[in-house]
Amino acid sequence: MSDSTRIERDAAAWLARRDADGWSQTEQAQLDAWLQADTAHRVAYIRLRHAWQQADRLKALGAGVPAGQIPAKGEWTLSPFVNRGASNEETAASNAAPPSRVAGAARRRERERHASRRRSLRAKFAAVAACFALIVALGFGWFRYSAVQSAIYSTPLSATESVALSDGSQATLSSDSRVTTTMSRHERHIELQQGEAYFEVAKDAARPFVVAAGERRVVAVGTRFSVRRESDGIRVVVTEGVVRLVSSAGAPAQSDLRLPAGSVAFSGKDGVSVQSLAVDKAEEYLSWRGGFIQFRDTPLSEAAAEFNRYNARKIVVADARAGAVRVGGHFRWSNTDAFVRLLKEGFSIRAEQEGDRIVLHSE
Amino acid sequence: MDETLDIWFAEEILVHEAALVRYLGRVWPRSDEIADLRQEIYVKVYEAAAKSRPQSPKSFLFTTARHLLTDRQRRARIVSIEAVGDPDAFNVLIDEISPEQQMSARQELKRLAEAFDRLPERCREVVWLRRVQEMSQKEVAAQLGITEKTVEKQIAKGARVIADYVYGAAAAQSAGSVGAKSLHAGSGDER
Repeated sequence: MSDSTRIERDAAAWLARRDADGWSQTEQAQLDAWLQADTAHRVAYIRLRHAWQQADRLKALGAGVPAGQIPAKGEWTLSPFVNRGASNEETAASNAAPPSRVAGAARRRERERHASRRRSLRAKFAAVAACFALIVALGFGWFRYSAVQSAIYSTPLSATESVALSDGSQATLSSDSRVTTTMSRHERHIELQQGEAYFEVAKDAARPFVVAAGERRVVAVGTRFSVRRESDGIRVVVTEGVVRLVSSAGAPAQSDLRLPAGSVAFSGKDGVSVQSLAVDKAEEYLSWRGGFIQFRDTPLSEAAAEFNRYNARKIVVADARAGAVRVGGHFRWSNTDAFVRLLKEGFSIRAEQEGDRIVLHSE
Repeated sequence: MDETLDIWFAEEILVHEAALVRYLGRVWPRSDEIADLRQEIYVKVYEAAAKSRPQSPKSFLFTTARHLLTDRQRRARIVSIEAVGDPDAFNVLIDEISPEQQMSARQELKRLAEAFDRLPERCREVVWLRRVQEMSQKEVAAQLGITEKTVEKQIAKGARVIADYVYGAAAAQSAGSVGAKSLHAGSGDER
């Protein structure tokens, strides 16, 4: 072993001991003596200590990873931020640690997560009573010789809501969204007036399930998909079965587009673009249902717009250079602050609070 | 001792480690001696700086390196002419030494993540829990069901690997691909 390797090994051993619990004055004296014995000891120690301190920046990658859990290798080579998938949560749950303060904290967080799941489940039933301001207007009438039921559902900013529709389907509304439903004997007609909604459609071959958003309609029989309105078009994400995208009510049949599971389609003025992804990748577009949004190599300008869909406090990207920065990762959409903090740490982004806005500048 | 000197040394000298190691690799033919050379250069720089801090730390670092190599070469020549490199190579102007690109915070983070993923599994777990989740070594030991002594050993191991990456030497030595990688970093390296 070369001289420098031996010294480095010793320095590392000192560093680790210094880092351990119950560092005593005697040990400190021993370390001081070792450091003073040779400048080579000192420089080796400084070098390792400084790097070890730097490793603290791994925290920027650890945001969102639950306590007591270690992200899989390479998870962040995709992005500077960690993608936290469902599989990780399972690991955390099975990591039943022996009782310790930290394990307690891990369990607490785990409990909180379960609690929030339970909350969202309860909310499905108790939403009307709760402060989520879910408006349900039920009307009964006669239409086309058959019973028609209509309802309006809406969510305020920063809330999502799941509602059971009268046909047995389930709709999950994203933040600041609004749908009206009209259930007749021949058709289940949903009007997405604003925002985004995810539908789990109950099978009923006799009554197609039609979601209309502006000039486009998405037609399904029994499947799972989401429709979202954007300023210049609509986005459709299909996670099960097949839906048909129809350009407008009564449009010619050739404009129909079949979208199988895994499709992410954007339909705008200039036509339709479709990405075919693995279903689990397509699901990422729907992680808002669990309180998250996910980015992959997404320009910051888009990521900011995404956050703004969910929050009253808006992120404003001040210059094009900042807007072009690519971000990736899995974020809780309610936690704008954490996102902004990570931008500051991981990128050369400066953030200023201006009243109810967070303004981002490149440095 | 002088804490500000230690900080100065980390921030003004150690940041050039990748460039220094590259330089040594280019002009010194025996790669197994580079770690020792680096240490010796650091010692000289540190001791000189303890008396008075050099105006231009980077120039001082490379001048020290060049003097040391010349000195070594003189002594080595007695043993074998082949063993040492071209003496003219030492007289590289500081400006010619490929200037260390100012790494963006993101690139630094990326390098750190790479270093972290290089750690053996157990070591990686220990470093994560200790450094990111800020558990104490004792808590890490309890969580992973290993002894505190093992935790300490893993931390020592982890610190060394991370240091080599943080300062860029490992990356610089392992391949010339580092530059290419960092070029992509800004424009989306996702896939």
